[in-house]
Amino acid sequence: MEKKDKFLEENEHLISDHDYDGIRELNNPMPTWWRYLFYITIVFAAVYMFRYHVFGDDLQIAEYNKEMALAEANKPKTAFDENALVLMTASADLDNGKAIYDKNCIACHGSLGEGNAIGPNLTDKYWLNGGSLKDVYQIIKVGKPMKGMLAWQNQLSPEQMLQVASYIMGLQGTNPPNAKEAQGELVE
Amino acid sequence: METQHFSYDNKIVKFFAYATILWGVVGMLVGLLAALQLAFPIFNFNLAYTSFGRIRPIHTNAVIFAFVGNGIFTAVYYSLQRLLKARMFNDRLSWIHFWGWQAIIVSAAVTFVLGITTSKEYAELEWPIDIAITIIWVVFGWNMFGTILRRRADHLYVAIWFYIATFVTVAVLHIGNSISLPYSWIQSYPVYAGVQDALVQWWYGHNAVAFFLTTPYLGLMYYFLPKAANRPVYSYRLSIIHFWALVFLYIWAGPHHLLYTSLPDWAQSLGVVFSIMLLAPSWGGMFNGLLTLRGAWDKVRDSATLKFMVVAVTCYGMSTFEGPMMSLKWVNSLTHYTDWTIAHVHIGAMGWNGFLTFGMLYYLFPKMWNTKLYSEKLANAHFWVGTLGMIFYALPLYWGAIVQTLMWKEFTPDGLLAYPNFLETVTQILPMYHVRVLGGLLYFSGLFLMVYNLLKTAASGKCIDNEEASAPAIVTDTKRSNSEGLHRWLERKPVQFMILATVAILIGGAFEIIPTYLIKSNIPTIESVKPYTPLELQGRDIYIREGCNTCHSQMVRPFRSETERYGEYSKAGESVYDHPHLWGSKRTGPDLAREGVPGGKMYKTNVWHFNHMLDPQKMNAQSIMPKYPWLIKDVLDTSSTPAKIRAMTTLGVPYAEGYDLIANDDLKKQAEEIAADLKKSGIEVASDKEILAVIAYLQRLGRDISVQK
Repeated sequence: MEKKDKFLEENEHLISDHDYDGIRELNNPMPTWWRYLFYITIVFAAVYMFRYHVFGDDLQIAEYNKEMALAEANKPKTAFDENALVLMTASADLDNGKAIYDKNCIACHGSLGEGNAIGPNLTDKYWLNGGSLKDVYQIIKVGKPMKGMLAWQNQLSPEQMLQVASYIMGLQGTNPPNAKEAQGELVE
Repeated sequence: METQHFSYDNKIVKFFAYATILWGVVGMLVGLLAALQLAFPIFNFNLAYTSFGRIRPIHTNAVIFAFVGNGIFTAVYYSLQRLLKARMFNDRLSWIHFWGWQAIIVSAAVTFVLGITTSKEYAELEWPIDIAITIIWVVFGWNMFGTILRRRADHLYVAIWFYIATFVTVAVLHIGNSISLPYSWIQSYPVYAGVQDALVQWWYGHNAVAFFLTTPYLGLMYYFLPKAANRPVYSYRLSIIHFWALVFLYIWAGPHHLLYTSLPDWAQSLGVVFSIMLLAPSWGGMFNGLLTLRGAWDKVRDSATLKFMVVAVTCYGMSTFEGPMMSLKWVNSLTHYTDWTIAHVHIGAMGWNGFLTFGMLYYLFPKMWNTKLYSEKLANAHFWVGTLGMIFYALPLYWGAIVQTLMWKEFTPDGLLAYPNFLETVTQILPMYHVRVLGGLLYFSGLFLMVYNLLKTAASGKCIDNEEASAPAIVTDTKRSNSEGLHRWLERKPVQFMILATVAILIGGAFEIIPTYLIKSNIPTIESVKPYTPLELQGRDIYIREGCNTCHSQMVRPFRSETERYGEYSKAGESVYDHPHLWGSKRTGPDLAREGVPGGKMYKTNVWHFNHMLDPQKMNAQSIMPKYPWLIKDVLDTSSTPAKIRAMTTLGVPYAEGYDLIANDDLKKQAEEIAADLKKSGIEVASDKEILAVIAYLQRLGRDISVQK
């Protein structure tokens, strides 16, 4: 852009009768790019409204249903037979189980499984919902929401649930301090 | 032409300027406290009066209505007189306006501390104060219009167009959004419920930003920027176009606060497209300001006033670019409910409003006290500290927002949420909250440099309370000549101007709000949704009192990442009895819309809620939620139950006739049931305590829709 003399330019554009407490106004045209920006946004608006409300492109609920269908289709099919659970004994699995326990279970079952005001003791032989590996796995999976036990199937994978269940089975007979009184049925 | 002699009222300007400074200090100090509370929950002090849910509205209201509000009045009272060559219409009105506004601010602070709030963002004040605001606002408008009608200048300058638009629109918004039915001498329920309440609230909330934080400050800019730079305004034509486009388009954009909620799709789409169309009109103001400085950039280097103004106008450009972008639904799906919004508004508040105010004050004090600024160096230091403060405030929040929103949405290859525990995503960004405190502290310390500098400046001069001036009387020629442009004619017709501006701002709101009442399919009825029980209603009011909605939304958006975390997405028909709606706008904690669904993903037992309210850190060591021990100590006030039920019935909530008289029996029964359940878990609590109402309410959330299935 050629450089114009500042004062010359002003004199060309100064509007003669505009003087407000000494503030003068120039009569510069609106910047071209500014006008085009405005036009483009107006076109965008028209296209947007037509696209969604005349031509019927997906609105939010249709969008959501597609998202869910896609997730369902992509669900990994883990060959994990929940009817034939085998206690995990590898230390890597048990370490994972402990990590999951420490992160999610301590608040209600205590750091050593001793139980507290909310959740039962997990180290004794008394169980409220059965004491087999399958029982423990099942209660972790679906929970007992009205009693406060959360369902973890939406947060932990089947493998993770088996890891933590195996870890919990390993707490049997550890006799931690401050253990909560026995609740439920004796399972030998 | 006869020359008339008169004087400008500088004393009132001085008082508004001092009030601006005082409330600026207070508002930002409270903001600093709020930032500390989010970083370190111990700063909630375990007291009802100082818990975050009550502190946050004090901060927002103090900054918006006390700091910026008084800033607006400082600018208007100073510039209006000079632009019109007339003293303010009536000194008594000026002082009623001044003291009335300050009294409203004080009463706001007191009621918020006490937990008296409507929960509606930036409109939290209860009905008696709302009426006071209306009266004082009318006094302001009357005084302004009286001055305009008695002016000695033929035409109204662009700054005054913005002042007029501000006056009429804020009046319409405030009254429209505050209509409520009192159930006591202090408190009320809004007449709107659910979807309509949300729509009206954000029609108001968005345009409070537009017509309280933007248009009056554009007027301020149009006066003080050319004055301080001593340069002509770049383009008169741009002024006209961007003014009318701005006031017409702004009012439509409110629904962009409700994207992906249960607001009807057509209203959401209007919110999107009008926000996009706002980009150019907003930037018109920025460019008219910046281009006015053409050829004066050497002055910017030397003058702190101009530096503040340049950064302010640039921040305005940034926020008004970011706003439309955040209104695109896919961007919004990432930024909404996160700290992105908090960072965004602080660029606006600290940069645009704060810096423009500071620039104006550095200009005004030497002028009015007829002296020189005590220290240009200190003002420059303020500028740099303030700028640094803004950067340290906003960048960590932007970063934290991206991290958190991606964590919310991440799935493992097994198809499970990668971070199912909401708290993990908070803990992750906590360091950002710490840096944000530092940013706030820097910005705040800059303010102190200004206070010292301005006091010193004032001490070195003497304020001219009545500044002598003279001007020729106005030539009253009402006919429009052929050579006079239409707009030029309008500029000397203030009444017609105001009417036209009012029409421009009414169209958008009417077009969006009225159809939600007329078109039944907009809010499909859900049979299983029933009114709250009396205990739940009382619990809901405690939820409002404690400002739980400040951190917890009740609106599950239709995303897989949300329905997997919380449960079914929210429906419009669910909140038909919610006077007011409690959808929330920020998730510092998890959404609670599905909190009470039995067996749901969010479900917690009564005992969990009890322990969690008493001490959230005992349940989760890293939780940043305040403790609420007083809920367990304090007795629930049941004397208000009948009046509340009656008010709700009047508003159309279908309680049986005469239910108000027996409501407390049901309330007692339900409280006893919950107390008995707690006792089973070894918790002894009398059945008349507030906590039982809160638990009852939380256990109700989302339950109606789960019954339906």
